[in-house]
Amino acid sequence: MHLRVSHITKRFGSAAAVDDVSFDVPKGSFATLLGPSGCGKTTTLRMIAGFYEPDAGDIEIGGRRVNDLPAHRRGTAMVFQDYALFPHMTVYDNVAYGLRVAGRPRPERDKRVNDTLTFVGLGGMGGRWPNQLSGGQQQRVAVARALVIEPQVLLLDEPLSNLDAKLREQLRVELRILQRRLGMTFVYVTHDQDEALSLSDWIAVMNAGKVEQAGTPWEIYYHPRTAFLADFVGAVNLVPARVESVGDGSVTVSFGPHRASVRRPVDVSLSTGQEVRLCMRPESFTIAPAGASANGLALSGTIARRAFLGDTMRYWVKVDDREWIVDQPDPGATETLDGAVLLSLRPERVHVIAES
Amino acid sequence: MRSLRREPALLLALLAVIALVLVFIVYPQVQVVVAPGSGGYASFLEGGTWVTPFVHSLEVMALSTTSAVLLGFVYAYAMVYSDMRWKPFFRLIGILPLLSPPFVVAASYILLFGPRGIITYGVFGQTPIIFGLLGIWGVQTIAFFPFAYQLIADALSRSDARMEQAARNLGAGPWRVFRTVTLPLSRPGLGAAILTTAIYIVEDFGNPQLIGGQFTVLPTQAYNLISGFGEFTSAAAVSTLLLLIALALYLAKIRLDGGRSFVTISGRASSMPRPPVPAVLSWACFSGSLVLAGVILMVYGTLLVSALTVLFPINLAPTARHFTFVVTGSNGDALRNTLVFSSVAALVSAIFALFAGWLVQRGDWPGRRVLDFLLILPAAIPGIFFGIGYLTAFNQPWLDWVDRGALIILSMVFWNIPVGYQAAVAGLRQIDRSIDEAATSLGASRLRGFWDVVRPLLGGSLRVGFVTTFVRAVTTLSVVIFLFTPATTVATIRIYQLVNDLNWGGATAFTVADISMAIAALVIFAALARGRLALGMARG
Repeated sequence: MHLRVSHITKRFGSAAAVDDVSFDVPKGSFATLLGPSGCGKTTTLRMIAGFYEPDAGDIEIGGRRVNDLPAHRRGTAMVFQDYALFPHMTVYDNVAYGLRVAGRPRPERDKRVNDTLTFVGLGGMGGRWPNQLSGGQQQRVAVARALVIEPQVLLLDEPLSNLDAKLREQLRVELRILQRRLGMTFVYVTHDQDEALSLSDWIAVMNAGKVEQAGTPWEIYYHPRTAFLADFVGAVNLVPARVESVGDGSVTVSFGPHRASVRRPVDVSLSTGQEVRLCMRPESFTIAPAGASANGLALSGTIARRAFLGDTMRYWVKVDDREWIVDQPDPGATETLDGAVLLSLRPERVHVIAES
Repeated sequence: MRSLRREPALLLALLAVIALVLVFIVYPQVQVVVAPGSGGYASFLEGGTWVTPFVHSLEVMALSTTSAVLLGFVYAYAMVYSDMRWKPFFRLIGILPLLSPPFVVAASYILLFGPRGIITYGVFGQTPIIFGLLGIWGVQTIAFFPFAYQLIADALSRSDARMEQAARNLGAGPWRVFRTVTLPLSRPGLGAAILTTAIYIVEDFGNPQLIGGQFTVLPTQAYNLISGFGEFTSAAAVSTLLLLIALALYLAKIRLDGGRSFVTISGRASSMPRPPVPAVLSWACFSGSLVLAGVILMVYGTLLVSALTVLFPINLAPTARHFTFVVTGSNGDALRNTLVFSSVAALVSAIFALFAGWLVQRGDWPGRRVLDFLLILPAAIPGIFFGIGYLTAFNQPWLDWVDRGALIILSMVFWNIPVGYQAAVAGLRQIDRSIDEAATSLGASRLRGFWDVVRPLLGGSLRVGFVTTFVRAVTTLSVVIFLFTPATTVATIRIYQLVNDLNWGGATAFTVADISMAIAALVIFAALARGRLALGMARG
């Protein structure tokens, strides 16, 4: 493993900000720590960078334990949320700073700085001052400044959160392309699940100082292990249910008057009679006027509210005293629904969380 | 702490700073406090000679602080709240006293209101006895109300104009807004301003020494015991008593300062104007400020006229002879000493304070709060006490090889550390920690990051630290009065001596030269900074 974090703990006062966290990041992958504010993700990142001292546990980079190395010897360049550009240096000097500190000769420095600036789309802007740049350009300088020293691991602390939505999406794409092309190991911290899902090879969702679940974006989104996780990575219907019987690859659950046979989650033991929760994403449903024919699990209800979101129409549908969130894609293509409706859902779109 | 062990150079630098603080701030003061010994203190307390100056000091402090704060408040309110005209003029006049040794007010006062004063004798033909309590009260009121004004104006202007606008918007009149919004919000700041003024006044040595006559206060008592009787033990005990008063006031001020944070909730000062006040109030403010500015102008104008005339006020023929006197021979040396000592001290003090401020503000090692306290402690130490401390600690035979000029410079460096330190800390608060960390994550050690990134960004703090320290060094009397030798005399000492010799022409010319140095420093600073003057406080 290129970056290995084992059992690190950090306390501030008596509260543990990071509590026995372990994970591995393979070389060249894009790893993301995702979580709400105060979950310990930034603290973890700062321990990797060497800005905080772990109270326990080890950090290894490239097979070498770095706990005893000061921050400037770790080969972990960092991109900060507020960019932290040196305001008294030009763009060129900002990017050249790490090379100058390393004592690289001038010709090499010039070449690498200019190449990197071109690489991030800032060719020819080396003479500008940070305060003459837009937010997006500043963020590119910050990235270039960190990339140019070819760090073993590039750490990014919510680098896009100060940008407006449109630019954020654009830079997100660029960042992903950049990382692929360089094959550099990125560790990225964010509270934005869209960012995490779209960028990462691997995500660790943190909550209250612990890693709740780690895996691919797909696993995190569709097979969350806890209700917190399901809720954190997007809108979700979490419905209390009861295990009726456990089969080989499937499990039969009941909720209200309904009964369904759904996929059995791996790595989780279920027993008959256990209280569980069913996790169903709003976009997994099909919504149709009452009386339509159902495909799979069918639920009849009435529309309580709706919100037009542009790319989808979101409905809150009352079924058995409970409001369900249902998204209908491309709302312009169909008539807006009202009154009694029929929701249908294929059973394999239902995910069981072994937590009541 | 572990992070320090990984960077030996940083650890070494920190240990050096701590060693310097211990040697030049802690050690001399401890020497004074322990000098009398328990037996000394016992007989000192029993002797009772301290009671009179102690009571006098408290009396003077109560009277002068009250009047200086009241006048300062009028001036400050007028400057911050009213729409009066001539504000730039009043601002300029308000700065002038900060650039001069406070005790020259006593000299001017004697010229104006003394037995042969132009007003008392010249206008009214009276020869009043102005020495004693009334004299000190009058002089200190005039000398320190501009300080009170600066502090109070600072406290008042911190209150957010948006809240006052909001209160007006909700239907409150100007007086009600002031009473229910402005005052409660600035109360901690005002309290701190009053306490700081009280510290200046209780520590003041020059004015009571010149005008007090038989009315001794603690600083003059300490000085007279040493210079008159060589009674070092009693002097140490007296100045320790003074230190206790100043320290108590200072600790109370720190507590209030801590509670001030809620005033600045909004972060940067808003550009919103304050709600208007009635025209009649503005006019009252204008007249009040005019009178006060007139008093300041009269005090300093008298000094200037006296410096430029043959024998003020008897012979008013213009002459340059006092200035010739000031720049020739040993007097010229004293002026040069002032310039050299103060420049070197200000430079060293500002740089040292900047580095120490960075170590404390950005450090994560245990004990940084202790160092923080020690670095602001000199602000609470009366100049006379500081001087006695250096006299005790460094006037040792084995230290004879140390140049006395160096000792004066060191005393100025460390007595003024709080000035540069607080400027540095304020500057560092404006610079996000991530800037340091960015340098570190790009491969720079923390010391290198300080040098490459933080230091250039703190140019403003450095300049404020330098100029304020320079001005305080140029205008201090009490710190150096025990440390000078004939070869290392400075301007304030000469002024003091010449006033005692009743050489008014020479004394006032020296004063003008001394103040000119401070003004020149400030003008250069303003030209460099082109920003608002963030001048700290000078004191005697």
